[in-house]
Amino acid sequence: METPSRKWRYGVNRWIILGLVILNIVAVSYYSPVLPHIQLPAENVSETPLFGNFYLTNTLVATLIADVILILIAIAVRRAVRSGELIPRGIPGAIEAILELINNLTESTAGKWAKSIFPFFATITLLVLVVNWMELIPGVDSIGRLEHSEHGYPIEQVMPGVYTIVPTSGESAGEAHEGGYGLIPYLRVASTDLNFTVGLALIAVLMTQVMGVRSLGATYFTKFINVGGIFSRPAFGLLDFFVGILELISEFSKLLSFSFRLFGNIFAGSVLLFVIGTLIPVFVQSMFLGLEFFVGLIQAVVFGMLTMVFMAQATQGHGEHHEDEGAEGAHA
Amino acid sequence: MEVAAARLIGAGLAMVGTIGAGVGIGLLVNGAVQGIARNPDASGDVQTNMILGIAFTEAVAIYCLVVALLILFVG
Repeated sequence: METPSRKWRYGVNRWIILGLVILNIVAVSYYSPVLPHIQLPAENVSETPLFGNFYLTNTLVATLIADVILILIAIAVRRAVRSGELIPRGIPGAIEAILELINNLTESTAGKWAKSIFPFFATITLLVLVVNWMELIPGVDSIGRLEHSEHGYPIEQVMPGVYTIVPTSGESAGEAHEGGYGLIPYLRVASTDLNFTVGLALIAVLMTQVMGVRSLGATYFTKFINVGGIFSRPAFGLLDFFVGILELISEFSKLLSFSFRLFGNIFAGSVLLFVIGTLIPVFVQSMFLGLEFFVGLIQAVVFGMLTMVFMAQATQGHGEHHEDEGAEGAHA
Repeated sequence: MEVAAARLIGAGLAMVGTIGAGVGIGLLVNGAVQGIARNPDASGDVQTNMILGIAFTEAVAIYCLVVALLILFVG
């Protein structure tokens, strides 16, 4: 029996989008957006420190909120697993699909160390994913407190206690008079803070060394300081020694490249969103939000996947590369 | 020359390095698409390795961007 299939039509969504665009145009004609003061270090949320010299920064607040979101997701997944249903629905189902993908990737690359390597891959990917996608939420980077700054603009009161920045008519950004106000957002994407990315990169590189020592014992360090061959095979032994020094340098370059890849992508993305939102306030920024969605996803997966690949390489040691290549080829 | 003018010129010059990343990513995707065309069953593996390679290559372009942003906004 054939159920009559409905022809797909546009429906009501296009009117909602048209209504929102018209609302956007109306709002922009009253208060057009101004370019915020872009700076590399994260800004302090409050004027007074929490204790001693420690200020709460807006990226730290965003990281804590991402932690809370991840813990809530974990509780939801645990409840779905405990309930005994074989096929979870909704958020636990999505998490199961993601984790299965990650587990398959790990097992195909790492082999028997997949059980130790999988938690790092999954944690780093999920944390960086949640942190990157916070950029898409309206209100992040735009709602905050005002303070006097030399790149300031005049402000106007919208509701009691709520102020908004009004650009003076016909002037370019940043040229405003002294005594104006600048915005310090309450939430800022945590990956735009070098502290977050360098911290994650340090953890990844350090645990790579720990994995190497766990699997190979203390002989793991002969990867870097390779003096075994100097006397037995003079010419190649010396070459091996220099290759070892090069490996040591490449570990440090991994640290730099991990942190700056994530930082550069997300910081450049947020600067792009600010600038595009200021130049063309209507609708164009939404297309770049779509781009930022994919960039955030890919950067999270790449950070985790590279961590996993480096850990798998560390557990394999020197001479066993070729046999594992054969096993991987037979795998697929 | 004032510092502000030199900053703008420096940031513009720093971004010239992204040409290398563009060429690199183009070569990568060329190889990946040819690989998928030859052997469609391996497309999952080829795609995963292509994304990995693109992330490495794009990182070089991101280093250029970071230098440009540092020149513009820091100090």
